Amino acid sequence: MILASAGNVLVWAVWVVAAFACLGSGVAVVSFSNPFYSALALIGNLGSLAVLYLLLSAEFVAAAQVLVYAGAVMVMFLFVIAYLGGRADAPWAGGPTLQVAAAVATAVALLVEIVVVIASKAEDRLSSSAKITGSFGSPGEVGRLFLTDHLIAFEITSVVLLVAAVGGVILGSHARGEASVQGEADAGA
Amino acid sequence: MLGPDVAGYLIIAAFLFATGALGVLIRRSPLIVLLSLEIMLNGANLALIAFSRHFGRGDGQIFALAVMAVAASEVVVGLGLIVAMARRRLDLDVDKLSTLRG
Amino acid sequence: MTAAAWVCLFLPLGSAGLITVLGTTITRRTAAWIATLACAGSFAAAVVSFVAMWGRARENRADLSTAWTWLEAGNFRVGLSILTDPLSVFMMLVVAGVGSLIVAYSIGYMDGDDEERRYFAYMSLFVFSMLMLVQGGNLLLLLVGWGLVGLSSYLLIGFWHDRPSAVAAAKKAFVMNAFGDATMALAFFVLIQKTGTLDYGLAFQKAHGLSSLTLNLIALGLLGGAVAKSAQLPLQTWLPDAMEGPTPVSALIHAATMVTAGVYLIVRTHALFELAPRIEDLAAGLGAATLLLAGLVALVQTDIKRVIAYSTMSQIGYMFLGAGLGAYANAMFHLMTHAFFKALLFMGAGIVIHALAGEQDIRKMGGLRRLMPNTWWAMLVGGLALSGIPPLSGFFSKDSILAGALDRGWYGDVLFAVGMAGAFLTGLYTFRMLFVVFGGEQSAYVQEHPPHAHGDRVAQWSMYLTVGALTVLAAAGGWLQFADLWTPVTDWLEPVARPLVEATGTQETIASAAAVALGVAGIAVAWWIYGARRATAPRPSRVLEHKFYFDELYNGLFYWPAVGLSRLLSWVVEGPLVGGSIAAVSELARWTGGRVRELQTGLVRAYALALAAGVAVLVLVFVAVR
Repeated sequence: MILASAGNVLVWAVWVVAAFACLGSGVAVVSFSNPFYSALALIGNLGSLAVLYLLLSAEFVAAAQVLVYAGAVMVMFLFVIAYLGGRADAPWAGGPTLQVAAAVATAVALLVEIVVVIASKAEDRLSSSAKITGSFGSPGEVGRLFLTDHLIAFEITSVVLLVAAVGGVILGSHARGEASVQGEADAGA
Repeated sequence: MLGPDVAGYLIIAAFLFATGALGVLIRRSPLIVLLSLEIMLNGANLALIAFSRHFGRGDGQIFALAVMAVAASEVVVGLGLIVAMARRRLDLDVDKLSTLRG
Repeated sequence: MTAAAWVCLFLPLGSAGLITVLGTTITRRTAAWIATLACAGSFAAAVVSFVAMWGRARENRADLSTAWTWLEAGNFRVGLSILTDPLSVFMMLVVAGVGSLIVAYSIGYMDGDDEERRYFAYMSLFVFSMLMLVQGGNLLLLLVGWGLVGLSSYLLIGFWHDRPSAVAAAKKAFVMNAFGDATMALAFFVLIQKTGTLDYGLAFQKAHGLSSLTLNLIALGLLGGAVAKSAQLPLQTWLPDAMEGPTPVSALIHAATMVTAGVYLIVRTHALFELAPRIEDLAAGLGAATLLLAGLVALVQTDIKRVIAYSTMSQIGYMFLGAGLGAYANAMFHLMTHAFFKALLFMGAGIVIHALAGEQDIRKMGGLRRLMPNTWWAMLVGGLALSGIPPLSGFFSKDSILAGALDRGWYGDVLFAVGMAGAFLTGLYTFRMLFVVFGGEQSAYVQEHPPHAHGDRVAQWSMYLTVGALTVLAAAGGWLQFADLWTPVTDWLEPVARPLVEATGTQETIASAAAVALGVAGIAVAWWIYGARRATAPRPSRVLEHKFYFDELYNGLFYWPAVGLSRLLSWVVEGPLVGGSIAAVSELARWTGGRVRELQTGLVRAYALALAAGVAVLVLVFVAVR
């Protein structure tokens, strides 16, 4: 079901690049022993994901991804890594153990299961995508949905953010009698 | 839709999820575990956006945005924990934090 | 008449309850008076009942008064009822009369004991139980009284419960009585199943239609109970041991009343026994055998109370003999006179024991005749009555039983011969005891411990007055009936228990003459050996000393197997199975807990792995199932 046409080729090319970038950076995040490199790899992952979102006509989400995720959350990560300095180093220790083997098996099982399930249960529904209008994925559309159909989700999300902010402050505050140290985690974005 | 089908995106999402799960289960540094957790969440987000495009409804994007907000909150708390651990001069190793053993 | 009967029954129970409830708030002497007055009141009520009944016509003398329906099960109904008829009034007079005399005697005898209140409560309970037994309007209430007298006997034998021998004797008595209770219960079950009722008149009527096997079984069961309660062969071993209790207890329970309950049972249910003549003959035979055995064993006893105990066993053998032959009125008459002179003997022995500071071995006594003359005269009267010497009471009652035996063919003749031998032995062992204790020179022990009076003035008077009263009764009590010339007792009991045997005048004369002659002969031999010391007694045979080895036999047959079985079970079942299974359960729980605990590694990664694996498995399950 691969349609070949001129505009299509471009989309395909971008897709392939973005996909490989995504997968590669994902593996990189998991494998580096220096957390700084892992964080940088994650930023790359987030970027390539943004590209994929654009390909899927989700412009607002792509923008939010870059701004919020890559821009704020990762910055927070980097701050903490900087604070930790050398203590954050996470070398691979020890050889393969039962835990590692079981983990690999589980992860592979999950992957296989997802693929199999989607392939076997999807039947015909995944063959053709719906037609979309121009406003699909636009900020206006997203905003309309947030404020009408999914108002509760909107409100609850804001409460979650508030709670996280308070939690972050508490976690980062000084316990009584403990020496004060530079650098505290910022409140959430 | 131009380009690959939604199935291609789903495959990538599945891979991201599995990779993130592997990272959570194997790595010992809490920082890396958090980063792997982010990978998993992003995999889920990708699947949501892909299905949203496939069915032509914006609800998937709403959900993805909510996930993003929650992920951010969770990272705040997680990093707060790590900072607290560091402040108490504990080893940043999830295997060493086992006082809840039976 | 019936109101008085109810009062007679429940007054002692009230006294027992009152003493128990008041506890230590009353003095010991007050408790004694409460019990005595209650029993005396009971006797007064019995006399009122008797007089009222006497005023009625002969046919009208039975009255069944039911308080309420006690048990109901389908068609089977039992009421809380008392039967007031000539037989029960007769027993009421004996029980309440002798009982109140003995309880009064106890005021003096038990004076100074720390636990007097408990004693008098138990004695009142016993009098109530015995009255319940004789007044019960159906077999079930008789069984209630039966069990309660067994309980009272147990409590009173083991009264001094810090003595291991007393406790053991109490248990022995209770267990052997329980055997009799069981056979009685079985007989009742058969009776209920076949006739559907336990009321006296009704059950006896319906019993006529039953098969002879059923009747034999019922009668055998009843006989088992009677034999156990009355300490006859083969369940006689508990009675001598029961002498561990205080002497008034021995007098009341193990001489005058409880042990005669078996005789009462046979007379009350004689209709059933008459339908099972073989069992009746068995009863008479057992009575005769016991009579002989007990008489022989009494010859070698050295404890004063045990001599009298074996004498009781022997005399009840006479009563069983009479009841088994069908001479019901004679058996009851002998029951009454026996109560008088046996209680008298026990109470006199009690005075001797107290005077000698608790000594009971007759070999240590001697020459008390001059030191305690009143007691000597009282015991002499009792001993003569027991030996059947006219004109004392025993003569009239014992001989009539033996005369009746002659009316029963060859079996009766055998029983007659045994009874005669018993008369000789009775004279012999009784006067052996009397001559050894009271005759001759003072023994060394008596010289060291001169007899002294026991207790304060009230105590002494209580003992002397009651002993005196019983002496009069033992002497004159027999004048209520003489052969077939004057038979108020037989006439009184006739509506309830018509005798099966009628001795002719000749038979009566032969029996009387022979019995008296043999009794005098026994006394003469005793005087020759023990009184005048003209000859020495032969060495007692080993068999007699061991009481025909019954204790050893029962030990071997029942006790040791039971002990062995319980040890085996304890070793095999209790230890491994019961204890082991419980231990295994707890061990399993602990082991499981240990394994589960190993899951709590505390490692986050392991938990995460478990989560992820669980999700993987669940997805599989959902996909496969859906």
